[in-house]
Amino acid sequence: MPSHKHCSTLATPILEESTDLDERLATPWKVIVLNDPVNLMNYVVMVFRKVFGYNDTKATKHMMEVHEQGKSVLWVGEREQAENYAYQLQRWRLQTILEKDD
Amino acid sequence: MRTNYNVGAYKQFWKKMIEFSLQVECHIIQAILPEIGKLFALSTKVEEFSDLFPDLDDPELKESWIDGLKEEAKGDRSALARLLKSPRLPYGRVEVEEDDVDDLLRGLTEIRFTIRKTSLKNVTDEELESGMPSLRSSKPDVRIGYFSYLLMAEIQERLIEEIS
Repeated sequence: MPSHKHCSTLATPILEESTDLDERLATPWKVIVLNDPVNLMNYVVMVFRKVFGYNDTKATKHMMEVHEQGKSVLWVGEREQAENYAYQLQRWRLQTILEKDD
Repeated sequence: MRTNYNVGAYKQFWKKMIEFSLQVECHIIQAILPEIGKLFALSTKVEEFSDLFPDLDDPELKESWIDGLKEEAKGDRSALARLLKSPRLPYGRVEVEEDDVDDLLRGLTEIRFTIRKTSLKNVTDEELESGMPSLRSSKPDVRIGYFSYLLMAEIQERLIEEIS
């Protein structure tokens, strides 16, 4: 049977790992689409509608933000879903980055 | 024994087509299609999926992310290849199976990025967005690249209108 001391040395890193994971999951991430000179406006609107299920008004608003301000935050939330959205947007060849929402 | 003439049995072979005619003169299309074929061949060489990966400090995710994008892009290129080989495209007619539309839209975007990075690499973003006013003084390969870029955009735009 392992000694008590041995048990406590094992427990510490597991606890830290779990805290790191909790922090990582708790931090919201932003899905940001950047402007590019190639993609057509109606293409970008269509992609936002397909990926996020936005209606035409909301998708157009984000597209105009990308076009006029160079970027738009499309979604904020947990990292796994943010990664999923970023992947889908890149699949459609939109320049997409992820940032922590500090 | 009676033959079953159930129409439903043939439904699996029936695919809905999206069809439209381009507002571009046929001789222009016929002149630039061979050039588009060459640019299409370059697509795999100029793809830069590794640049797309978000800065997440996760090498394993990066590898699967890039591999996934590369793998899925093959379907997009196949859809574009089918369009470029279509016998009616030189006459301004676009015919696409409905199931192919998403892949084709992405394939068209990819080739436009390829043209941007090759034939139009010396053109500024502003010139490109405003319609490139200095076209007359441009070299032939730039002009061909630009017409190819516009033709791909025209098909993409019409396709989006058709499915909307």
